[in-house]
Amino acid sequence: MWWIPVVALLAAAVYLSLATDRFATERNLTNLVAQAGPLLLVSLGQMLVVVIRGLDLSVGAVISLTTAIVALELPAPVSLPLALLAGACVGLVNGTLTVRFRVHPIIATLAMAGILQGVTQLLRPVAGGRVPEVLGAVVNGSVGPVSTPILLALVAIGGMTLLLHRSRLGLHLFAVGGGETAGSFGVAEGRTRITAYVLCSVLATLTGLFIAGRIGSGDPNIGGPFSVDSITAVALGGTQLAGGIGSVGGTVAGAAFLALLSNGMNLLNVSAFVQTILKGTILLVVVLLQPRKNIGL
Amino acid sequence: MRTLRHWLGSAPSYAVFLVLLAVLAATRPEMMKLNILGIFFRQVVPLGIVVIGQLLVMRVRSIDLSLGGVILLINYLLSSGFFGQDHLLWMVTGSLAIGLGVGLVNGWLVAYRRASAVVVTLAVGIVLIGIVESLANGRPPGDVPDLLGELYNWRPGGIPAPVVLWVLLVTLMSLLLGRLVWGRQVDAVGANPEAAHLAGVPVARTVLGAHVLCGLMAAAGGLVQTASIAVGSLKFGPELVLNSIAATILGGVIFGRGTGGVWGPFFGVGCFALLFTLMTTLGIDAPVKLIVQGAIIGLAAVVYGLRRP
Repeated sequence: MWWIPVVALLAAAVYLSLATDRFATERNLTNLVAQAGPLLLVSLGQMLVVVIRGLDLSVGAVISLTTAIVALELPAPVSLPLALLAGACVGLVNGTLTVRFRVHPIIATLAMAGILQGVTQLLRPVAGGRVPEVLGAVVNGSVGPVSTPILLALVAIGGMTLLLHRSRLGLHLFAVGGGETAGSFGVAEGRTRITAYVLCSVLATLTGLFIAGRIGSGDPNIGGPFSVDSITAVALGGTQLAGGIGSVGGTVAGAAFLALLSNGMNLLNVSAFVQTILKGTILLVVVLLQPRKNIGL
Repeated sequence: MRTLRHWLGSAPSYAVFLVLLAVLAATRPEMMKLNILGIFFRQVVPLGIVVIGQLLVMRVRSIDLSLGGVILLINYLLSSGFFGQDHLLWMVTGSLAIGLGVGLVNGWLVAYRRASAVVVTLAVGIVLIGIVESLANGRPPGDVPDLLGELYNWRPGGIPAPVVLWVLLVTLMSLLLGRLVWGRQVDAVGANPEAAHLAGVPVARTVLGAHVLCGLMAAAGGLVQTASIAVGSLKFGPELVLNSIAATILGGVIFGRGTGGVWGPFFGVGCFALLFTLMTTLGIDAPVKLIVQGAIIGLAAVVYGLRRP
């Protein structure tokens, strides 16, 4: 199934370059990467959790919280580590709740999302504030002819490929996601699963930093759509929501396709509301294409 | 004594309800009047009705995250006069038809296509919200039909009509689950779908039925929710989904297990009524409410996870 998003991606790109003359311009393509970057980062994290048969519905809330923390107008050496620490703690709590206290991941991360939304609204009731200048400089800058979002995306893809497909942790993630028996082969099941949740939340925090750099302020609602969008991208990329199967390449293609879709629909002047309907429909079609053994969550 | 302990132990909601009632009586004794509490309980009726559906799908190991979208759509259609202004029959059948349709789609995808319930209902919810937004196109809908408002304020025998409807529906569901074959099938599917299948229980059909009933309950909740406000709104829905899951877990029902029955979640919703009353009278803001709700879900789920054999 991995080829579906790739084919869809190519078809959409060809159609858009023919249908509008603004698509294949350098400016729009740079824009596209900057738009796709956040979704890509958060989807890579979501994929790790989905591989171990979990689901993280709190990534959107983590993104909002991160923009709120860095917009507190504290000095950058304080606020950036603070945001990352908060993200790591969220992941640790999510992981501990699901692994040690055996709370269902949907319940644990949904409860977490509610709590984080409350905290974010306390910190920043409406959009505003200023983020440290270093964030904007990194996100909007360029190294030689290449803009930094492209470099960051490549680093994220490379790093995640090494982690998932070349490291011991990656192997363990697949083993834990593949079935109940990983423990008997010496895999520290609980620790592996908690690690996946922590990495997912940290990646969501990085996404929040990226977005804060782009918009230059904090926004309590900016993360909202990312929980569902990241699940869509992961599912679109051929990662089985039943766990155990997934790839970085597929997730990249899934995230790229979603970003291309919204970029293209913006160029074609499709209203944001219709885009929402289309996104939901795509998600439905994708899960239809993934046959599973059991009925349920 | 033993039956009391058994009863209290079957769901966290009973004990929490009593504690909250005691706190309210201690801090705000003037609130402990039947007609004042009636008003606060009337506010949670939409949640209470939605919970009846949510507990049903959670007992068959599924979940419904599209409730918010259903309620939003029904609220929009009713308040923009889509179902007319003065024919109750049209409003009710129209709303229930929408609930039925959404329930069928959810149920078919989850039970027969075996798609992930979280993703399916999340996606259906998004599609519904997108439909409402593109219909509204940024403009708020009009006024809610007066007829619905009058029904909402009707008090047969001193008890608010919505509360009567809620108790009626809960009683019906309790009979359905406790006395009918279908209720046993729900139990069997929840306990172990494979064993249920081997024992000849139509697993997929049972899950489909649960989702259809859940859709109908969402529609009924949407009707009451709409009746409770004078002017249509594009704002609510999401917090109702979160709260419906919270009240269900608090009521001792979690994926596949239904020790709390139907009355456990009923008192779970009662806890929310008291909690809202307390937080409102103590002047606690919306963000803190979100935090408290999240914490309650987490704690109730932790308590339940620890007691799992």
